[in-house]
Amino acid sequence: MKKLQEVLRDWEAVIGLEVHTELTTLDTKMFCNCRLSHDDPPNTNVCPVCLGMPGALPVPNRKAIQSIVMAGLATNCQIMKHSMFYRKHYFYPDMAKNFQTTQGPVAFCMHGHLDLSVEGEGAAERPEWESTAGDGTPVERAADGSYTVPIRILRIHMEEDAAKMVHSGGTEGRITGASESFIDYNRCGTPLIELVTEPDLRTPEEARLFMEDLQQTFRTLGISDCSLESGSMRCDGNISLRRRGETRLGTKAEMKNINSFKSLHDALEYEICRQAEVLEEGGIIYQETRHWEPSHHRTVVMRVKETEDDYRLFPDPDLAPFDLTDDFINEARARIPELPHAKRDRYVRDFGLKPADARQLAGDPATAALFESAVALVKPGEKDAAKVQATVANVMVNLLPGHEGVSAEQVFSLARLLATDAITFAQAREVLEAVDGTDDDPERVVDERGMRQVSDTSALAPIVEEVLARCQDQVNQYHDGNKKVVGYLVGQCMKASKGKGNPKLFNQMLREALEA
Amino acid sequence: MASLDSLSAAQIAAGVAQGDFTATEVAQAALDAIDSREKDVQAFLQVSADLALEAAKRTDARRAAGEKLGPLAGVPVAFKDNMHLVGTRTTCASKMLANYDSVFTATCVQRLLDAGATPVGKTNMDEFAFGSTTESSAFHRTNNPWDTGRVPGGSSGGSAAAVAAGEATLALGSDTGGSIRQPASFCGVVGMKPTYGAVSRYGVVAFGSSLDQVGPFGRRVEDVALAMNALTAEGADPLDSTSQNCAVDFLEHLDDPVEGLTVGVVPQLMEAKGLSQEVRDALTAAVASLASQGARVVEVELPNIASAIAAYYVIAPCEAFSNLARFDGVRYGYQEPDCQTLAEQTSLSRAHGFGEEAKRRQMLGAYLLSSGVYEKYYYPAQQVRTLITQDYARAYQKCDVILLPSAPTTAWRFGDVSDPTQMYASDMFTISNNICGNGGISVPLGLATQSHMPVSAQLQGPAFSDRRLLRFARAIERGVDQGLGLGGGAPVAPDFAGRGGDL
Repeated sequence: MKKLQEVLRDWEAVIGLEVHTELTTLDTKMFCNCRLSHDDPPNTNVCPVCLGMPGALPVPNRKAIQSIVMAGLATNCQIMKHSMFYRKHYFYPDMAKNFQTTQGPVAFCMHGHLDLSVEGEGAAERPEWESTAGDGTPVERAADGSYTVPIRILRIHMEEDAAKMVHSGGTEGRITGASESFIDYNRCGTPLIELVTEPDLRTPEEARLFMEDLQQTFRTLGISDCSLESGSMRCDGNISLRRRGETRLGTKAEMKNINSFKSLHDALEYEICRQAEVLEEGGIIYQETRHWEPSHHRTVVMRVKETEDDYRLFPDPDLAPFDLTDDFINEARARIPELPHAKRDRYVRDFGLKPADARQLAGDPATAALFESAVALVKPGEKDAAKVQATVANVMVNLLPGHEGVSAEQVFSLARLLATDAITFAQAREVLEAVDGTDDDPERVVDERGMRQVSDTSALAPIVEEVLARCQDQVNQYHDGNKKVVGYLVGQCMKASKGKGNPKLFNQMLREALEA
Repeated sequence: MASLDSLSAAQIAAGVAQGDFTATEVAQAALDAIDSREKDVQAFLQVSADLALEAAKRTDARRAAGEKLGPLAGVPVAFKDNMHLVGTRTTCASKMLANYDSVFTATCVQRLLDAGATPVGKTNMDEFAFGSTTESSAFHRTNNPWDTGRVPGGSSGGSAAAVAAGEATLALGSDTGGSIRQPASFCGVVGMKPTYGAVSRYGVVAFGSSLDQVGPFGRRVEDVALAMNALTAEGADPLDSTSQNCAVDFLEHLDDPVEGLTVGVVPQLMEAKGLSQEVRDALTAAVASLASQGARVVEVELPNIASAIAAYYVIAPCEAFSNLARFDGVRYGYQEPDCQTLAEQTSLSRAHGFGEEAKRRQMLGAYLLSSGVYEKYYYPAQQVRTLITQDYARAYQKCDVILLPSAPTTAWRFGDVSDPTQMYASDMFTISNNICGNGGISVPLGLATQSHMPVSAQLQGPAFSDRRLLRFARAIERGVDQGLGLGGGAPVAPDFAGRGGDL
């Protein structure tokens, strides 16, 4: 198969996503008062309503509707005041009533968009000729190739999740050939929002970034834990190819079993290349659902859709149509905190962060909060305030991931130690390990372990003199043009100072002495 | 010695409260009446003697403890078998649910029990409430107490027959297209379909969710008003999001005169094809009775009412298909043995668990909801719904209530009507009220002149004017009482009166 870059020279990949997000932060299910849980024993959070017992009736969860309105407002959707629930029928035991309660043609949220900023290597995936966004606006590129493209959102609708089924005795956990099937209705009736994009994505990287942005946005709203691994956020990708310049859409295939950002990218990349190969060999693409197999790095056919399923959708007569009031919508709006996009821009503007770093910090609400608390500890008038600020960001981006128990005070203290050259980056890592999960002040750890670097030139000068005197060979090499030899001399200085001298200062002093 | 046959619900509750007799004695009298009458009526699918005696014992204990008793203390009540009551099966008269034990108690049932009622059993019905004669019950037929060779009407035929035969003082039924009012008319008892939303549907196995409404049967208008109080006093049910608070005292103003109020008559309906002469004559007399009590009579038009049956037979089967989809034999209900695949089990459990009419309605619904067909039928049906609602709203600008027949004929003999569409047409006077959600009540007018079977008038009113309906119904009852020299309300059917039930 050809490589992605090569394929995208001739073919345009048209990608749309359907993203299901469980509203995991709510207390109760969509239409009953059963507790939401991920790890309780099977069938312990169930009642006549979510078990679909005869005579039971649904009562909508107001907080779930507030959550979807927040999701809509955060993704620039139009909030539809008038909408209703529909029943979508299919016979399968994972839906106790044999119909799923979902929304019809009008969803709570319609016609939104997210502006996607694509930077770095990912930006190169989009070919130069692909210069128009899905909505027809031109895509402008910066000098480094980075660009921003609007991705339109068709709708976000509210529905209920199905039960979890486990089949044993068959192949690969499928029902076919299984000897026993188990159903856990704990998940049945979990509030679920489904976001459907327009087919505006053009590269696997754009799709991956879109999902990441969406995850960051929903997490910041506090409406879900958005875990791709546990399945609280699930993504199906629809993809078709068309020749460069063609306006008609090709036949699409649907990608399932995508449970990480990497899978999303890799599955789309594989599928684009696969479809190109089929088409270039004169074959045809079938409208089918394909299963991503990460271990084999390929997609395989799950089922071919010959006819559209007839779900017999009609308005749910047990649930009155909604008339959302301005008050309800405004209340939802008031609950929206600063969103990752805005936060990202502010970090770049106010703290001079690199866009990629700002993205990482702003994306996760807990990380962003920690960063802002740590930065707030830098006193504006303080010596090297700007440097300490930048170092706080540096610590957060490069050292902190993987450390859960570090406080803002500890981050700030560590950043100040680094910014004042009291410790090296490598030492900072050691200090972080030591304070993680404790109340210890990094300053104290540094002192206790005698790590503090000596940055006093008068204390370092004798060592430099001693080393230069001792290493006459290297000094000569330097003068012969081998400037790299300074590294060796710095090493000697460090050794002589038992690791406590400031290597940057040694470097500077050695050069000065050698050039003198 | 008193007989249950001659006591109203209010009299029983008062007698228990005053210590004239105990709730246990009342329960035993009711069970005794059921015991001696049931073989000829077959109104019940299940007699809950143990539950009845337990409930009565609790009522007596409360009285002994000096507690205030509820307004239905000791009153024997029967429930249609699509209403859950823990301790009973809820079969919907279907093989599908033949062994289904109620896992919770319906709100409407609970509210009557909370008011002190004694639950004597679960009554027969058309399977899943699909029908007008109770003949589609999977278990047995129910006979009309006024002539056991005739149908009791349906689908709440068991509840109507139980009250008419004096086996229960009150009963609950459900009305989706006339299923309370038509059997009430056939059996000569009062039957009320309150405004949609007035009574909670939680715990009532759904047929057509946008049409279903629970209501009471009684032999007197006052008993029905008393039951309405118990059903609505606690306001909207948080478990039914379509229920509304409409708590008023239905007994207040019950006996107020109708002088100065206006009753509407729809000429088009009084001349409808299929309306028998004896029913028309009885209706004319009822109008005259109201007029003689000072009510003004005006003619009103309902131009789109002829389309009501067609719209109903689109909307109701669609909702029924959807509501009954859950019966697949996986977790409860009839499960076909020895199937190889899930699809086979689902298919055969449904094929063999449901009766003919239930399958006919579900197949109709499945067809009407399929893509391409849905647009052609479901949308127009909803438009008709709007038009009929507007028709009524216009009519009620000119009158307070509308008087019309409950059914085109009196009860027919078993076997006389077998064509389903002819059967569907018998709902012509009741269906439109379910379509627009308004309340309606069927009030006995005595016996018809030809068939000598009970005949009734139906009163319909604007949404949530159910108290006004009861006041008009009481006025008609007064007129009938005076004309026939009865001492209040409809009598127990003569063949059954006095057979057991002594207190």
